[in-house]
Amino acid sequence: MNVIEIKNLTKTYGKSRGISDISFNVEQGEIFGFIGPNGAGKSTTIRTLLSLIYPTSGSATIFGKDCIRFAPEIKKEIGYLPSEVFYYDNMKVKELLKYSASFYKKDCSKRIKDLAEIMDLDLNKKIDDLSLGNKKKVGIVQGLLHEPKLIILDEPTSGLDPLMQQKFFELLEEENKKGATILFSSHILSEVQRLCNRVAIIKEGKIITVEKISTLQENNYKKFKIETKYALDKDYFQIGGVNKLEVNNNVISFLFRGNINTVMKKIAEIDIANLWIEEPDLEEIFMHYYEKEA
Amino acid sequence: MNIFLKEMKYHRKSLIFWSIGVFLMVISGMTKYEAYSSSGQSINDLIADIPKSLRAVLGFSDLDLTKASGYYGMLFLYLLLMATIHAVMLGATIIAKEERDKTSEFLFVKPVSRSKVITTKLLAAFTNIIIFNLATFLSSIILLGKYSDGEAVNSEIAILMAAMLFLQVLFMVIGSALAAVKKKPKSAASVAAGILLLTYMLSIVIDLNENIEGLRYFTPFKYFEAKNVMYGGGLDVLFVVISLILILTLLVVTYVFYKKRDLNV
Repeated sequence: MNVIEIKNLTKTYGKSRGISDISFNVEQGEIFGFIGPNGAGKSTTIRTLLSLIYPTSGSATIFGKDCIRFAPEIKKEIGYLPSEVFYYDNMKVKELLKYSASFYKKDCSKRIKDLAEIMDLDLNKKIDDLSLGNKKKVGIVQGLLHEPKLIILDEPTSGLDPLMQQKFFELLEEENKKGATILFSSHILSEVQRLCNRVAIIKEGKIITVEKISTLQENNYKKFKIETKYALDKDYFQIGGVNKLEVNNNVISFLFRGNINTVMKKIAEIDIANLWIEEPDLEEIFMHYYEKEA
Repeated sequence: MNIFLKEMKYHRKSLIFWSIGVFLMVISGMTKYEAYSSSGQSINDLIADIPKSLRAVLGFSDLDLTKASGYYGMLFLYLLLMATIHAVMLGATIIAKEERDKTSEFLFVKPVSRSKVITTKLLAAFTNIIIFNLATFLSSIILLGKYSDGEAVNSEIAILMAAMLFLQVLFMVIGSALAAVKKKPKSAASVAAGILLLTYMLSIVIDLNENIEGLRYFTPFKYFEAKNVMYGGGLDVLFVVISLILILTLLVVTYVFYKKRDLNV
């Protein structure tokens, strides 16, 4: 069963790009990654799903119900964490969370306490006095306190330190095990890879591909940059799996996909001054997708 | 109910300040009256010497200023100005502030419809306005009673307060409609205040120039003037009807536009 179904969703506003003709489904019980660079339309898509803004054309359903017509009803079961967290400044954390809970007809006080403990959040502080990371924690507790069936996260990890990110991911995995479906938007590939089953890649307002993470990883490649002490024959690294080989005096860079050992052996044979091996950033993944389509 | 209580709490401090302000306004006005009336010289003569244009600007009208009630009638214009400024700012900000403070991504992902949010917020604003009105009413009764020398003034004050309530609600929905229609609701409060000042100026210009009496339909400040309302004049039915139609129209505008527009997030 699909929890979210998006059909040809288009939102244009004024000069800014918006999104055009977006379609994808999120299945019950999966953690679905929604990935793309800043300004690609991730937030626009999510805000349309939440009927904060209305689509120019196309439609979307959540739990099988139209996301605009049944907005108040379906929002009972949605937890949302916006990319930038803004709350009523003059409130205490506790007051804000109680206010948030008062919209759902269930007692959330125990859950608030538990979540605050996991996220190491001081409930008695004023929202005003919180750092960005701590505000984000308030957002996380606020989004999860009513045990929603669908959790929508818009770049949730910005501002969180690595330890908190880890705890947060564990929390999400636990919710997922209990049956929650999660839509996870991000521009950081590694966190999506760590968490998600499937992923939709969006660029410039269009969906480029919807793929299983495992498939994506098989196609993944690494970026090598090697600085040697002496100039090398420029075809030294011209082996199978190497792409975009560039030799610039003593600096060699290329992309590699395949058995990593073959490259490592080649590197071991030469006298190197420095070595960088990186995961490709998103932009390069996109290039990869464009190339594949071309 | 939760939104209502939150709004009441949010506006509590400002409401207290406004109420103190209106109390001080009545005090300062009536103390001046005391000074005038005890000086022995009739203020009516004094005011008759002021050029007509200046009289219009200062709000002196045909009221008998030797009487406490007449003096209060003049003061009423300033109370009205305060009440409407409070109402128009309240109406605009209570709707616009969720977007201004970027809390709309919090409130509008809760299981409440936009209509319900508006209804609750307008109810909270209306309650604030009623309290403002009552504060003015009480301040006036207490202080005017002190200076009225046995003149029966309470019913005059009551009818003036009824007139004030009409204008308060009218300006509140002007504010809320602006906040609902405008794509950048941040500026709704300042535009609303601008409209209030313009209509107030228009009412003065009409006082200065009788030839443009016809324009009085365009400024609520001309709907229920103290000199017409007091001493048995009552509220003009025509203007009551006009006010009600305007209020209803602006309410519909508030709901319709706010429901179908994109929120600024």
